[in-house]
Amino acid sequence: MIAASLNPVFRAASEAHDLGWLGSVSTLLFVVAFLAWSWVAYNPRNRARWEAAGRLPLEDDSSPGGDA
Amino acid sequence: MSPDTSNGAHETYDDDIVRLFFGATVLWAVVGMLVGVIIALQLAFWPANMDVPYLTFGRLRPLHTNAVIFAFAGNAVFTGIYYSMQRLMKVRTHDLLSRIHFWGWQGIIVSAALTLPFGFTQSREYAELIWPIDIAIAVVWVVFAINFFYTIAYRKVQHLYVAIWFYMSFVLTVAVLHIVNALALPATLTRSFPLYSGMTDALVQWWYGHNAVAFFLTTPFLGLMYYFLPKAAERPVFSYRLSIIHFWALVFLYIWAGPHHLLYSGLPDWVQTVGSIFSIMLIAPSWGGMLNGLLTLRGAWDRLRTDPIIKFLVVGVSFYGMSTFEGPMMSVRSVNALSHFTNWVVGHVHSGALGWNGMISFGMLYWLAPRLWGKVHNESWVSLHFWMATIGIVLYVVSMWAGGLTEGLMWRAINADGLLAYPNFVDIVQRLAPFYWTRFFGGTLFLLGALLMAFNFILTIRDARAAGASAPVAAK
Ligand code: HEM
Ligand code: HEM
Repeated sequence: MIAASLNPVFRAASEAHDLGWLGSVSTLLFVVAFLAWSWVAYNPRNRARWEAAGRLPLEDDSSPGGDA
Repeated sequence: MSPDTSNGAHETYDDDIVRLFFGATVLWAVVGMLVGVIIALQLAFWPANMDVPYLTFGRLRPLHTNAVIFAFAGNAVFTGIYYSMQRLMKVRTHDLLSRIHFWGWQGIIVSAALTLPFGFTQSREYAELIWPIDIAIAVVWVVFAINFFYTIAYRKVQHLYVAIWFYMSFVLTVAVLHIVNALALPATLTRSFPLYSGMTDALVQWWYGHNAVAFFLTTPFLGLMYYFLPKAAERPVFSYRLSIIHFWALVFLYIWAGPHHLLYSGLPDWVQTVGSIFSIMLIAPSWGGMLNGLLTLRGAWDRLRTDPIIKFLVVGVSFYGMSTFEGPMMSVRSVNALSHFTNWVVGHVHSGALGWNGMISFGMLYWLAPRLWGKVHNESWVSLHFWMATIGIVLYVVSMWAGGLTEGLMWRAINADGLLAYPNFVDIVQRLAPFYWTRFFGGTLFLLGALLMAFNFILTIRDARAAGASAPVAAK
């Protein structure tokens, strides 16, 4: 597929170094990273921490008159 | 929410820099959109270039895109960043670095406005500026980055709120994109040769171009949304957990989507396919972010009827949802076969640019004005501006969709003999006239709304000065 669109030199090079494994491995790594991060985000033990973080913008003193 | 800017609580923050960027945002909004209206008129009525070479479409179009993206949207983002990051970090940004950033950036804009009409260009879309200006951009950006990370390093709040992460992606990615795409060998002061050629050049250019949309017009504005929407709605974001997943998923997917600008080109098929797949996946984090923004209003939906600031922000987020639904759809090859090169793309661009970047910026400015100067001079003009902008966008976007489909279908129409049904290109162009005129009226309405806003702010500042209660004003 890749090779068909390249000139003969590049075709030979790309066949010699088939990088298909790189696609598979990186996909796997990123899926694992995504699941791990989702687990951290949605772990009930972190609930209080995220709720506190969510309130940060409301706790600053941007309007001395009162909406903080 | 009684506005009061003379309070001591403000002294620890540098709000003068916010006022400066605020003023620049409003000024360049008017200038950039005026140029947009002029080129819109030229497409409907070509003699509008008045036979002056400096005012022809090919020179004013890049002036428009540079002015609205880097001057209007850029200054709007800087306004919001300087205001919110000092407060989220509870530390003052560096005064001198901020001033170098401000004046350097405005100098770059002015040099762009001078060089482009005179025909000095690299002819790379969204990266037209000649190499000396490119170097200035890199230098000013590094100053901004130092200021930004210095503020983070000295922060007094441990957790980096999600808006800061979005800003961070903006600061880092734009630096990398700009430097890699601008690599060129200077030949004279105004001319240079790009380092890349052929398909590589196209790929680098659209990796840059697409991620300029992603990291200049999208992620910093999401940062603004995550700060100013909770502020305006007076409640925390709907789901903070969703926001941090939103961030990582979005920045990870965005970087790979550039090839959707090069479908059916000489780019290897598999690269095109990767670009399409990532673009289609992008709908998930994009809509996650949109829903997170909209649901922040839970229990306060009535404010949508009464509070014009909420109206601006909510319509902005809704247009974000619309253009991020449309974009993935246009990344499907068969849809792109119809939409590419047509006004549909221009409609998509402006539903993002006017609807998302414009409305979020306006909402933010109206929220900030009372906090920087004092009560907005005329509240009912704010609502009027909202309606002018909204109707303007609808006229703009709907006419471009209709015009885009018309020309796309006419280009590919074939008669019974297998020949082009409309072999004369100009026949198709003529069919577009009513759509171009509608866009011109929509754009004019949007511009008039921005002018009303500018006038309102000038009066607001005057009121504040008259009352003598305000801190020193933008003029420096
Ligand atoms: C009064 C408002 C505006 C009007 C009337 C207007 C009009 C136009 C016109 C006529 C074009 C050229 C389209 C073509 O070549 O067929 C254009 C292009 C463009 N405008 Fe605007 N514009 C406005 C506001 C904005 C804003 C606020 C932004 C960004 C924040 C923006 C971003 C762009 C971009 C990125 C393009 C290039 C599109 C492409 O290459 O497909 N515009 N605009
Ligand atoms: C999930 C999000 C998005 C996707 C997948 C996407 C996809 C696309 C596609 C497929 C095109 C047409 C390329 C072509 O046929 O030439 C396009 C053009 C464009 N989009 Fe988007 N889009 C998205 C969101 C946005 C947003 C939010 C904005 C603005 C704030 C935006 C601004 C632009 C611009 C400026 C162009 C025109 C580029 C040019 O040809 O000059 N996009 N987009």
